[in-house]
Amino acid sequence: MHGTVNWLQENGEKKIWGWKAGKGSCPELMEYRKAKNKKAHKKWRGFLWILPSFLGVMVFYLLPYADVVRRSFLGAVDSRFVGLGNYKEVLGNTAFLLAVKNTVKFTLLCIPALVFMALACAVLLCRSKYGGVIKSAFLMPMALPAVSVALVWRLLFHGQGLLNHWLGQFGLPEPDWMNGTSAFWVLVLSYIWKNLGYDIVLWMAGLAGISENIYEAAKVDGAGEWKCFLHITLPNLKPSLYTITVLSFLNSFKVFREAYLVAGDYPHESIYMMQHLFNNWFRNFSFDKMAAAAVLESMVLLGLILLLQKAWDSGVA
Amino acid sequence: MKFGKLKRAAGILLSAALLLGSLAGCSGKENETPSGSAQGNSNSAEGGGEGGEQAMGRFLESDVVLPIVFSNIFDMRKLEDGTIRIIGSSGDDGSKTVWDSKDSGANWEKAFDAPAEIQDEENGYIDYAALSADGQSVWVYNQIGDGGIKPVLYLLDQEGNLSTIPFELPAAEGRDIFSTSYSVNVPEDGSGQGPDSENQGTEDGSQTGALENEEPKDGSGESGDGPTEPEEGESSNKNLITDVAFLGNSQILVVDMADKVFQISAADGSVKQAYDFSDTPDAYQFYTAGNKLVVTTTTEALVYDTETGEQQPTEEALQSSVAENGFFNAVDSTDAGESIYYLTGKGLFHYKFGGSVMEQMIDGSMNSLGAPAFYPIALAMVDEQNLLVAANDANSDEVGGISLLKYTWSADTPAKPDKELKVYSLYNNRELRQSISRFQKEHTDIYVNYQAAMSEDNGMTVSDALKTLTTEIMAGKGPDLLLLDGMPIQTYMEKGILQDISGAVADKKGNYFENIIHAYQDSEGKTCAIPARFFIPMAQGGSANYTPGEDFDTFTSKEGVLSGMKPEATIEKFWYTCGAAWQKEDRTLDAGKITDFLTKLKNAYGEYDSSKTENTTAYTIAEEGGGITELQEISLSWGDFDLAFGRYRVNVGLYGRMDYGQLTAVNEKLEQGDYGLMPGQAGNVFVPAMVLGISSKAAQPETAEEFVGYLLSEEAQKVAQFGGFPVERSSFLSVIDGHEYEGKDSWISGGSAGSNMDERLSFKMEPTPEEVIEKMTSLAESLTVPALRDDVIKDAVVEQGAKVLKGETSPEAATDAIMQKVNIYLAE
Repeated sequence: MHGTVNWLQENGEKKIWGWKAGKGSCPELMEYRKAKNKKAHKKWRGFLWILPSFLGVMVFYLLPYADVVRRSFLGAVDSRFVGLGNYKEVLGNTAFLLAVKNTVKFTLLCIPALVFMALACAVLLCRSKYGGVIKSAFLMPMALPAVSVALVWRLLFHGQGLLNHWLGQFGLPEPDWMNGTSAFWVLVLSYIWKNLGYDIVLWMAGLAGISENIYEAAKVDGAGEWKCFLHITLPNLKPSLYTITVLSFLNSFKVFREAYLVAGDYPHESIYMMQHLFNNWFRNFSFDKMAAAAVLESMVLLGLILLLQKAWDSGVA
Repeated sequence: MKFGKLKRAAGILLSAALLLGSLAGCSGKENETPSGSAQGNSNSAEGGGEGGEQAMGRFLESDVVLPIVFSNIFDMRKLEDGTIRIIGSSGDDGSKTVWDSKDSGANWEKAFDAPAEIQDEENGYIDYAALSADGQSVWVYNQIGDGGIKPVLYLLDQEGNLSTIPFELPAAEGRDIFSTSYSVNVPEDGSGQGPDSENQGTEDGSQTGALENEEPKDGSGESGDGPTEPEEGESSNKNLITDVAFLGNSQILVVDMADKVFQISAADGSVKQAYDFSDTPDAYQFYTAGNKLVVTTTTEALVYDTETGEQQPTEEALQSSVAENGFFNAVDSTDAGESIYYLTGKGLFHYKFGGSVMEQMIDGSMNSLGAPAFYPIALAMVDEQNLLVAANDANSDEVGGISLLKYTWSADTPAKPDKELKVYSLYNNRELRQSISRFQKEHTDIYVNYQAAMSEDNGMTVSDALKTLTTEIMAGKGPDLLLLDGMPIQTYMEKGILQDISGAVADKKGNYFENIIHAYQDSEGKTCAIPARFFIPMAQGGSANYTPGEDFDTFTSKEGVLSGMKPEATIEKFWYTCGAAWQKEDRTLDAGKITDFLTKLKNAYGEYDSSKTENTTAYTIAEEGGGITELQEISLSWGDFDLAFGRYRVNVGLYGRMDYGQLTAVNEKLEQGDYGLMPGQAGNVFVPAMVLGISSKAAQPETAEEFVGYLLSEEAQKVAQFGGFPVERSSFLSVIDGHEYEGKDSWISGGSAGSNMDERLSFKMEPTPEEVIEKMTSLAESLTVPALRDDVIKDAVVEQGAKVLKGETSPEAATDAIMQKVNIYLAE
């Protein structure tokens, strides 16, 4: 021994907190350093593995986003500094407020509806012996191209479309579905129809992960179906809820495609979404307003996702 | 873990490759153009050479002065002794003459006048003629007799001695032809939207096409010299010759109306071979090269050996060239048919039979060859570096439109001009394309790259096109000059996308209709966009229904005065004269005025009766598959027959080309008929067309301004392709005064197409009287308010307004729907 090593025992792990130099080397210290280097090396090795992906995210998301933030303080074409002018303009823009209102309304209505309907279907399908087949049928809308869906949608909901033709045959009123408030409900229906199958699959995956033993034990203790669902199924599906909600939320933005293909740049005001606004702003060189609105929207989205993650983390814990 | 490190290394390498691959995918090569200059098969340097050696050599175009004014050139050929020979008919007296030039067109001498048999216009007319390499010519004379039309083939030897070729054209099976003339409202090509779009040939005067008029107007150069008086009768015949050409010096190819080709002896008319193309609906064109017969359609090229009559193996390169570059307009060969030179709308091409490549010699986009109203008649390859093209150019300065152009190889000229001027429009614009050809002829150092975003092929929507344009402009790769034919002009001005171009007209004050040219002046007095043309919303009717100068309220108080019109078109027409009055200072719309507009228009329209609408000219033509563009539908002339024959009480629409004869002919059918401005909520409205703007991010702003100056010059303004009246005063007078009919005795007798083909309007084509010129000029000068050009608002108004006229909704509900949509748009 050519020196003194002071150890500190912490959580059952030895840590060196002091070393008095002496001649020669300390084997423990060498061992420790080696272990530490290995650990650090391992840590960097992990970083190297994610580097390509990180670079992609950096180049395609983070840097452009930084540019968007920069542009939100500049003029559209001349790039002069305007301070918070763009934000003020966006927050006072009635088209923006309408789009926000519609988007929020759509999200608040559709996501809970979709999540719960999908859960109910998944639970039922899990019990059915034809569950697998029916599940595939529910997935069919996802395989349809948006253009085909839009075409069918037009045929159905046009003022002189099939739906009104059928209604007319029964002597019922024939509303102009896409040019009234009904357009919003058509959009909701379309979103749920298209995404229900996907969410069912996700819920069913979650349900499959719950051990049968728990149900059997509960049944032995006298628990009924409802109690089993409330106290076993739902708590065990909490981790799936986060994923399904986030995915449903992200998918809700894609409903714009159908709305755009059916009703164009300027649909009925009830289905005028954020994407319509961004689309039109881009076309008209309103990059200033677009940047400011994008920053605002991203902040709200980030907040929501973090909130969901926190809820999920606490649920898991 | 024996291979652990190896696996890791492989993993890292793969990841790196993936990353680099994805990044490399974004770079790409920019604007790599295929042999842009055509000449010399070279890729020239872009925009003035960026390093690299610049390819040199290009054919330059120049005009050749013809010895006389031709009304038609039947053929032109380089003879075996090097003489260039032309056969044609004189524009002055219609006489058929043969001219020679020993110095490639610099000087001409009359070889001889055609004999009396060919000059005889009392008993028939010359329809086609062709030259052989040794100077003989064959003439197709359509003899009119009691039994109908009989084609006779005359052969003239080198000195003009006439003989008749004893050839009897067999009857065309299952087909009869009639000499009755009728007009069809067939657009020339393409499709367009709105007053800036491609204006398909018959926008004005469309009901009466080239019928029994003796002045060839169709630009084909093959319309022949018909009788001089309008004829109402009809006579049937069994067959006609539709084309003729020499095969060598001793045989002639005769094509009949059933697309049968007879290869006959020039000496005795005996049939050597016959080729039958009658079993296909596709139109064929026939050319000869040495002993080969080249047959082309819009999609294929077939080659026949005329000695055996057998079809040769498919020439793949030639075939694909037809598909890519369009059908042949003229063909010539310099090496006894080993290869051919051919003209298409895209330029001059050379192909050696049996080869695998087609060589583009001249890029048509850099000269007149690519101009929309340029119809080549004959091509004569003087040598490999000089060629002549005889053409019918509708916008030629020459009376009659026949011109002769020479293309000479210039080794010192860059293959592709140094400067590239990018011009962009949503829809193809024929005036612009025509002007580009002329501009490039005078500016050999500038290449005008014109791109029309919307076409039938790409299926692009306006919204998509505008988004692409936005991306390109912001990336610094956008156009220099914009033709604002559907873009939100006001927004572009506010965003600073357009720069001030008042400099282009600053030194020519007084030359233009100032009221129109300054339509797009901003609050600081900057002119960011200039309409090069304009339409006048006009109305025509009998005194009981319309009085020129009456206001909108008075006009619309007459119930049912607009009945019979198509609801959508009616709303759109009045949108132009009323929309400008709706916009408030804050750019929002006045809902009260929209309701008022719809209410009054509904009263003027009366009850919707679909059977009335279905009987109108435009409707019936559309029903029968005729292509009608939006512009045609809203033009005044498309309602002429409906007004003249009582289906309309008043005709309204946009007027962009003076056709005095037709206007008068309609007036004469009415009781005290007259015309004037279309009533509207906004008075004295004009519709700006061909609106030009220079991008503030233009790479070539000076060249763009120079080009704008050219487009507003007298030369370019006189180009008339139905896209509106010129804003330049002398050009305006030139296009309305009918000077081309001076001293002529031309009659037009036209019938409506569709289901009303028995209706006819006949009138004489004559110069416009001075008082009418004055009236039109004062109408143009009185216009002060530019129509609101905003397609989003217009579409919303037309959609809802049509529902009101059809009685499907109330004016108030329609206004609410319009405001709902428009408010979002304006709030953005």
